[in-house]
Amino acid sequence: MARVAPSSSSKALYFLCILLGAILLYVDITYKSFDTIKNTYISTTISTKYLLKKLSIDPLIYIYEVSKSKSSLINKNKNLQEALDKSYLENFIITRSDKFFMDDKSILALMSQYEIDEVFHASKIKYFDTENYFCCDSHVMYIETISSTDKSLVGGAVINSRGILGQIISDSGIKEVLLLTDTTHYIPIESEEYFCNARGGGLPGIITCKYSSLIWTSPISKGQEFYSSGLGGIYPRGILIGYVKEITNLDDTNIQIDISLIANPIQKGMLGIIES
Amino acid sequence: MNKPGILKTMLLLFLANYLESITAPAFIKIYVAIPLTFLVFSGLVYRSSKNINPIYAFCLGIFVDLISNSLFGLNAMLFCLFSYVINSYSNTFKLFSYLQICIFFGAASMFFIGLSNLFLAIENFSYLILFVSFFINSGFALLITMSPIYRLSIDRRLSEYD
Repeated sequence: MARVAPSSSSKALYFLCILLGAILLYVDITYKSFDTIKNTYISTTISTKYLLKKLSIDPLIYIYEVSKSKSSLINKNKNLQEALDKSYLENFIITRSDKFFMDDKSILALMSQYEIDEVFHASKIKYFDTENYFCCDSHVMYIETISSTDKSLVGGAVINSRGILGQIISDSGIKEVLLLTDTTHYIPIESEEYFCNARGGGLPGIITCKYSSLIWTSPISKGQEFYSSGLGGIYPRGILIGYVKEITNLDDTNIQIDISLIANPIQKGMLGIIES
Repeated sequence: MNKPGILKTMLLLFLANYLESITAPAFIKIYVAIPLTFLVFSGLVYRSSKNINPIYAFCLGIFVDLISNSLFGLNAMLFCLFSYVINSYSNTFKLFSYLQICIFFGAASMFFIGLSNLFLAIENFSYLILFVSFFINSGFALLITMSPIYRLSIDRRLSEYD
């Protein structure tokens, strides 16, 4: 359908509208009368935008950030887990290498020196109450073998790279070692023609022997070496135990000698258990 | 095309104004101003099968003044003016080619830009902008005008294969 050209009345209306527009324009330029309306509109727009953003976008951003932080935490946890695994692995290697590199050559050297053919188990100290060792009569040490064994090693002699330390008196995985210096412990020793059962004196590094000069007439001098005699079958024979440190005449015939042990339980960490 | 409803028209003008506010800062760097809101309104008036009431054009102009934060009455006056011109020449336009109509809209845009610059920011008035904008707006109008024909030709070609 064809559009009709504006009639005179319509043209007049157009003219009036244009005139009104021009008046409004003039008023706005001159008096800025519509600033309030414009500012109201702008503030309403900003408020609406803010409100809409708060209602629509902000929750989505919050969800996204929560999920992101969650994934970030998961990643962090994963990294920590990996670091922990790595640390476990390194510690495992260190632990294993500690055992691997634990030097039992010194024990082997001692056994070779004294020509001991028995089987021995490399061991290390598990627990040793040194305070008790220095103060009291009871001298025990707890050790464990480096390589696990099902055999009971009770009665086995315990040595370090210097010599004999004691013997195992109980074995429940952890071995209890009664040291030579314990007051209840005796070790048969010899020096040349002289024999005695040396008893622990409850003092660190000292065992004592008592003998009658009527039986053993040969004089004993300070610094004289004493060896294990091998009697009793616990300790191998011929291992150097210590040197005479002190000779005390108890009465006219009885003499006590203090022997300073050469094997010190707190000096060497590597031990050996000789199967009895 | 029937005259669109007032709400639909307002929404279209609002969207056009929003788009214009986004694109204008970028286009002005290359000396181009595309008055999208004005072009949309002109297009609606041109495509309408009935004459646009001057009060309707005036009200829409006031609405655009409000949303575009320009001087009150500027768009109202220009919308009335151009709706009058388009209504007056609506039958004459039928004799014109698409290119001529597009040139008309380009020239109208140029007039709109020039007048707006005179009132809103006279220090930004530039003949270069007007000159470049005239060609760009004519081309833009041509693009809009030709797009249905192009689409129709594609549809026709596709129907030949069916």
